[in-house]
Amino acid sequence: EWTAEPVSTGTTIMAVEFDGGVVIGADSRTTTGAYIANRVTDKLTPVHDRIFCCRSGSAADTQAVADAVAYQLAFHSVELEEPPRVRTAARLFQQSCYRYREELSAGIIVAGWDPRRGGQVYVVPMGGLLLRQPFAVGGSGSSYIYGFLDATFQPGMSRSQCQEFVARALALAMVRDGSSGGVIRLAAITEDGVERTVLAGSDLP
Amino acid sequence: GTQSGVTTISVCRSPMVTGTSVLGLKFSGGVMLAADTVGSFGSLARFRGISRLLKVNDSTVIGASGDLADFQHLRQLLEQMVIDEELLGDGHSYSPRALHSWLTRVLYNRRSKINPLWNTVLIAGVYGGESFLGYVDMLGVAYEAQSLATGFGAYLAQPLLRAELEREQDRDRLPTQEEARELLERCLKVLYYRDARSFNRYEVATVTEKGVELEGPLTLEANWDIAHVV
Repeated sequence: EWTAEPVSTGTTIMAVEFDGGVVIGADSRTTTGAYIANRVTDKLTPVHDRIFCCRSGSAADTQAVADAVAYQLAFHSVELEEPPRVRTAARLFQQSCYRYREELSAGIIVAGWDPRRGGQVYVVPMGGLLLRQPFAVGGSGSSYIYGFLDATFQPGMSRSQCQEFVARALALAMVRDGSSGGVIRLAAITEDGVERTVLAGSDLP
Repeated sequence: GTQSGVTTISVCRSPMVTGTSVLGLKFSGGVMLAADTVGSFGSLARFRGISRLLKVNDSTVIGASGDLADFQHLRQLLEQMVIDEELLGDGHSYSPRALHSWLTRVLYNRRSKINPLWNTVLIAGVYGGESFLGYVDMLGVAYEAQSLATGFGAYLAQPLLRAELEREQDRDRLPTQEEARELLERCLKVLYYRDARSFNRYEVATVTEKGVELEGPLTLEANWDIAHVV
């Protein structure tokens, strides 16, 4: 019965690195069992100016961890007197997700840009492993697109190619996965800032 | 989680992203470990470029199967231990046997708190002219042998490894480095054919008096000729 179901971002999330930054994307559906609690969710959560996380799993768990990490990063950044590294943000997520692995249901992708290493994508799946990848997908919808990704991904894509790749992949997953849907939220993070777009309805590939 | 002062103990955690078999074999002059490079999320081969072999210091290498988040945790502990030891600067470094003993204590104590590190670890090294190959699992069961394998490898690869060692024993020697390498690759191929959680990319770590050499990722060639016969 729906009151017993946790609110989850059963989801499709994705992030791809390119030379100069990252492109991240997510669907916008939050479900409570089979009811769509929020059809315009924003799962791309900033934890710092140029560092975002894509959240999948329990909405409450991921929001709580993201809030904690955002606080820690803000503090760290003041001490450091420079923008924090993406790797630091990813490591902070990993520390919470690993320590509380039994209690949490959280699959997170951390992506962003820092002056040291440019665009980077890190994945912290359930269990609390930390891994850097050229691109990452997560959430329930990701299962349906592994084939597409394996066949289509090329290293060294440009920013616009990455955006197209992410949009196509998410659209395919959203069609097949009941827990994913709504609109596609995209964000491109570079040295110059964060550019957000929304693809809805007929805009979807 | 915590509830009004009472801490609940996590019971029987489940592994999430896992690694399959690790193989280990002693040869004349050293020890060798081999493992594939995939992290499986259940039946999904989710992360295909993970290294499950870790060079601890110049005399030891470890390979882990099981939960890879726990392996990363172990990796951090070990790396910190090695740094602390270097800072001492007394010329001593942890021997493979010492590391094996330490790992056994850590894993056994975690299991005794019903909060295991869900890993099976092989430790391979050469120290003071002697080669060492040891095994520890999530229960703290520990032993040494001439050949070892975890996971599926224990069923499929270990008999192959032992048969070869027995053949060599009759001639009173251990396999050469090349023979050992070829044997491990043959075992990895069998595992690729028969273990549904395996992958055809792998790494090999060789430890000799000269130190540790980590090779990979390499790719296995599979032979499907029998498909035409059937």
